[in-house]
Amino acid sequence: MGSLSIIGSLAHKSLRNRASTALLTVLSIAISIALLIGVERIRTEARSSFASTISGTDLIVGARGGDINLLLYSVFRIGNATNNISWESYQDITSRPVVEWAIPISLGDSHRGFRVMGTNQDYFRFYKYSRTRTLEFIAGEPFDGVFDAVLGADVAAELDYAIGDKIVIAHGAGSTSFVEHDDKPFIVTGILKKTGTPVDRTVHVTLEGIEAIHIDWQSGMRLPGQSVSAQQALQMELQPEAITAFLLGLKSRVAAFGLLRDINEYKEEPLLAIIPGVTLQQLWELIRVVEITLLAVSICVVIAGLIGMLSAILTSLNERRREMAILRAIGARPWHVLLLLVTESALLAAAGALAGMALIIGLTAVAAPMLEQRFGIFVEVQWPGAFEWLIALVVVAAAIVVSLWPAWRAYRNALADGLTIRV
Amino acid sequence: MVADPQPDNRAPTVVGIRDLLFAWPGQPPVLDIAELNIARGERVFLAGPSGSGKSTLLGLIGGVLTADSGSITVLNQELAALSVAQRDRYRADYVGFVFQLFNLLPFLSVVDNVLLPCRFSARRHERAAARSGTVDDEARRLLSHLDVTADLMARKVTELSIGQQQRVAAARALIGAPELLIADEPTSALDHDLRERFIHLLLDECAAAESAVLFVSHDMSLGSLFDRQLALTEINRAGHHNG
Repeated sequence: MGSLSIIGSLAHKSLRNRASTALLTVLSIAISIALLIGVERIRTEARSSFASTISGTDLIVGARGGDINLLLYSVFRIGNATNNISWESYQDITSRPVVEWAIPISLGDSHRGFRVMGTNQDYFRFYKYSRTRTLEFIAGEPFDGVFDAVLGADVAAELDYAIGDKIVIAHGAGSTSFVEHDDKPFIVTGILKKTGTPVDRTVHVTLEGIEAIHIDWQSGMRLPGQSVSAQQALQMELQPEAITAFLLGLKSRVAAFGLLRDINEYKEEPLLAIIPGVTLQQLWELIRVVEITLLAVSICVVIAGLIGMLSAILTSLNERRREMAILRAIGARPWHVLLLLVTESALLAAAGALAGMALIIGLTAVAAPMLEQRFGIFVEVQWPGAFEWLIALVVVAAAIVVSLWPAWRAYRNALADGLTIRV
Repeated sequence: MVADPQPDNRAPTVVGIRDLLFAWPGQPPVLDIAELNIARGERVFLAGPSGSGKSTLLGLIGGVLTADSGSITVLNQELAALSVAQRDRYRADYVGFVFQLFNLLPFLSVVDNVLLPCRFSARRHERAAARSGTVDDEARRLLSHLDVTADLMARKVTELSIGQQQRVAAARALIGAPELLIADEPTSALDHDLRERFIHLLLDECAAAESAVLFVSHDMSLGSLFDRQLALTEINRAGHHNG
């Protein structure tokens, strides 16, 4: 159809003639699309990075309480355990034949706002995140001695620690604890590579270390008149009596359900076992409201962009009535007039969509290091995927639908005005 | 695509009106014309004050409006027998228009404005190309005949004076040599000295293109430049109160 290419070229030239208005419209659509795609990308990335916080662990066991609470304190270092688990229960469960490995976790202390976690060397061998990644060191090595400490990447970076530095652990999880275990400082022996998980914000020490600093303590208070030096503590029995939780890797995943039931019906002590993936899913469901709100807001911004375009077209309609009458006199059909306006909107929206994608690619390139650094969200600089092209397509389609209103008015005007302009 | 209407290109009468009656909905008739003929190549001056139904008559001849009764033929083709789409097509092929003001699309160049009819009408495209080799050359030829210099052609249409714009509009109406040129008060926005000059240029080019001219104006002083002068108030038997 020759007339289609004529209308296309007219639309194009007409837009160029109103370049500043057109550019503003394109810009507002571009920003709204960039926002929508950006939110969508961060949402997807946040979700996958959230889901990959812990991998390879078949069960997490803690004192009986809420599933999500157990996941929060054992993996995300948020909140506190309601109770401890006895060392005997830990020994009993981990000695079962289905268990391949176990990582004990002891929480409750902190260092300048960062949680301190007591564990053993198996942690560095078996703990996995992002499906298959194990912890790696950028400096030093796993702890060996009782008063050795391994720092997460953020801890080392924010507090500017290096191998060999001494750190003092505070009692309790607050950042401004006045009660410090200052008589038994720890020495940094290793710093972990960035993982994008709560591991980065954790100070890791040995279970024995945790035990040692609490030797002269009872019920959260230092026992008056009793003081055990670090040297003396080393000579003592440092086998922990209780831990906070433990992670289990099983020889077969199928065994997880059987063991889960056994643990949840454990007679000696009220215990709770969870499958991390299942509970992560439950937790994400809670966060979904935020996710949906973000999406809704960015969709509203796109709608606002389209309304901006609509108002620009409607305002120009009266002054363009003459143009339409000229086109009619030359032999353009009323539907040519309709098509001209619809084509202009489609061009604006398409240009906006492309500019929006370029914008988001540019922004990710700039912001990706910051996002990774600050939030541990890995956002790759990537070309628009099928879903993003679909968004662009939907926006162009929406622009066409929206423009049908002014286009229809112009069509009616063109029919009513005929060759004379009644302005 | 709409079927090509087949008017008689060799018909001696370009416009033929018989017993035309037209009224806007719910109002008394605006036009009631017993007979009006324009011969091939004839230059007709139609005088009438504003509100005498001039624009309505031009809309009817242009095929944008349809008569309530009676007959309008263009090149022996009965307009009422054509579909709406065919009338749009016929207008593109056989009629050129020049209006009082604002004839040009502000976003097109001078030459592109002139070429516009060739884009909507294959017939005028062919005829323009046959005349000068390419439509582009024909546009430039017409423009320079109408005193639009190459320097003016390079300007944006919004930078042209009204007189220059009207000459560009005339070139556009004449490209592809349509059988009928309808000019609706094309000189009323021009200074007096420019009016006659514009009409001379227009009529010369119409003669070269063998186009008949229907020139409508309230300015009776211009009538003497034409083959025939008509007063709408004389040929229209309806009352005069609507545009």
